[in-house]
Amino acid sequence: MLKKISRYWWCQIIGWSINIAISIFFVSTFGNPGKLYFTSLVLTCLLGLVITHIMRLNIHYLKVLEKPLRTQIFYLIVLTLIFSVLFGVTSETIDHAIGYNPERFQKFSRSKRLFLSSFNAMWLILFWNMIYYIYHYIERNRRQELDTFRLEAMVKSLELQTIKSHINPHFIFNALNSIRALVDENPERARTAITELSNILRSSMQAEKMETVPLQQELDIVQDYLALEHMRFEERLQIEMDINEDTLNQPIPPMMLQTLVENAIKHGISKQINGGLIRVTSDFKNNHHELVVQNSGKLNGYATSKEEGFGIKSTQDRLNLLYQGKAQFEIHDIEGGMVESRIIMPAMTISNLQTLK
Amino acid sequence: MHKALIIDDERLARNELKKLLQDFPEVEVIGEAANANEGIEKIENLSPDLIFLDIQMPGKTGFDMLLELERAPHVIFTTAYDEFALKAFEVNALDYLMKPVEPKRLADALHKLQQAEEKELAASLAGVNRGMLSENDQVFVKDGERCWFVKLSDVRLFESVGNYAKVFFAGNKPLILKSLNALEDRLDERVFFRANRKHIVNLRMIDKVEPYFNGGLLLDLKGGEKIEVSRRQAVKFKEMMSL
Repeated sequence: MLKKISRYWWCQIIGWSINIAISIFFVSTFGNPGKLYFTSLVLTCLLGLVITHIMRLNIHYLKVLEKPLRTQIFYLIVLTLIFSVLFGVTSETIDHAIGYNPERFQKFSRSKRLFLSSFNAMWLILFWNMIYYIYHYIERNRRQELDTFRLEAMVKSLELQTIKSHINPHFIFNALNSIRALVDENPERARTAITELSNILRSSMQAEKMETVPLQQELDIVQDYLALEHMRFEERLQIEMDINEDTLNQPIPPMMLQTLVENAIKHGISKQINGGLIRVTSDFKNNHHELVVQNSGKLNGYATSKEEGFGIKSTQDRLNLLYQGKAQFEIHDIEGGMVESRIIMPAMTISNLQTLK
Repeated sequence: MHKALIIDDERLARNELKKLLQDFPEVEVIGEAANANEGIEKIENLSPDLIFLDIQMPGKTGFDMLLELERAPHVIFTTAYDEFALKAFEVNALDYLMKPVEPKRLADALHKLQQAEEKELAASLAGVNRGMLSENDQVFVKDGERCWFVKLSDVRLFESVGNYAKVFFAGNKPLILKSLNALEDRLDERVFFRANRKHIVNLRMIDKVEPYFNGGLLLDLKGGEKIEVSRRQAVKFKEMMSL
């Protein structure tokens, strides 16, 4: 039952009760409550509750809270004045009706008493309005902030999805074209190439569902991918793999290494007439798991260009999201005319791995 | 019969295309190249009348290669999937094939080429003078994202801009990397006339001729350009026109 009373009514009841309590405190400390004082006080507060509630209905009806700040202030003043008079006049009338007539007011004329009563009511109404508006102002800001957060999170998850599922169509069609050429030239190779291509497509679809995969699984894709690219580029593409076997069950974000290798080919190997080398390394260093992709070529400001900048930034974002800032990604030129991209992630110990499972 | 050159950096892609072309006896593949530089060399040595050209190649793209050619042969672009190139093709109505190539699409492209050639043949009865650019030759020009194959007969005017030349045709005037002197040497002087230090005009595109200061002439071109003919060249111009 209590739960069904809204926050608004709680505030109303508590607020007016406090008003009664304070009044009683002051009157009994500094003066002498006259006859019917308590009756009048309770009736006035009940009336205040009704009047302010009617005012709230008006605020809702006029949609004051949705208006710009300046208009809100204008409405605040007008409503305060109108309802102060209403409150003052009604409470004075009620006092009159019940015969409450303290001595200190007796010297005033009836109209002056109405004015004084309205003036007193104005402070109450103004105070009520202040609380009401400030509460809604804060509430609205909070809600806006929440909405912004929610939106950001959504954008982020969408971005991740597109990055994860991204397999370059250029690669797929080129691979298919090579396979078609191989059907006559080397049917056996054509058959394995079809298997490799379907592995990659299948993994890229499944990648959307997982946060991390064991390195072994990602390497399988990368190897299939490189095998297909080798079929295209032939002797122009040399591949070196240097994998520490103990890293094979380390969890890594799916399709991340694959994307790095793909970019290494796109910007490194395919741009060079004589091709070049791709080297993939996985090892532990200082309690971290390091994945490194090196390729022949030069960065040439790719990292800062708009399109590539996006790819690099999203790799970073993905790592941040997964490892809460404990993982790093960097890409730079190294000696020997090579470009190196490096992912450094916290290494998972065996016990960690087991709890993950 | 077309003499065709295949330019693609992937051996398998070249093989696949050659295999497809076996079904078209009107096309003879006379060579292949694995990159743009090799392509230019083969085009100069073998003078093919058709090239199948991949866009994405190491070193230079297919577009870059075409820009370096003095005379562009007929080109059918081939690409696997490349949003940028596809856009260029669609904007400029260039002929292209998507790899893996559908035999039907290849047949259509070759058919279109046949029609274009017949039209040209009717237009130029005179034998092609090797080395000289005839009216029916085309050049490849590019202006930002837009590119064209322009027939020389459609060019009104070449204007010298440093080491470049501005080519005026229809409503466009892109730059090509060729000096005016180099162009003058290769252009047919019966059609293209050196009016002054900065301009070569197409005589067929002249609307009106007016006398000008100092015994010079002023040529009104069909595109609205007004070109001054120096006194020395004016003598030559009158001589040519009186013939």
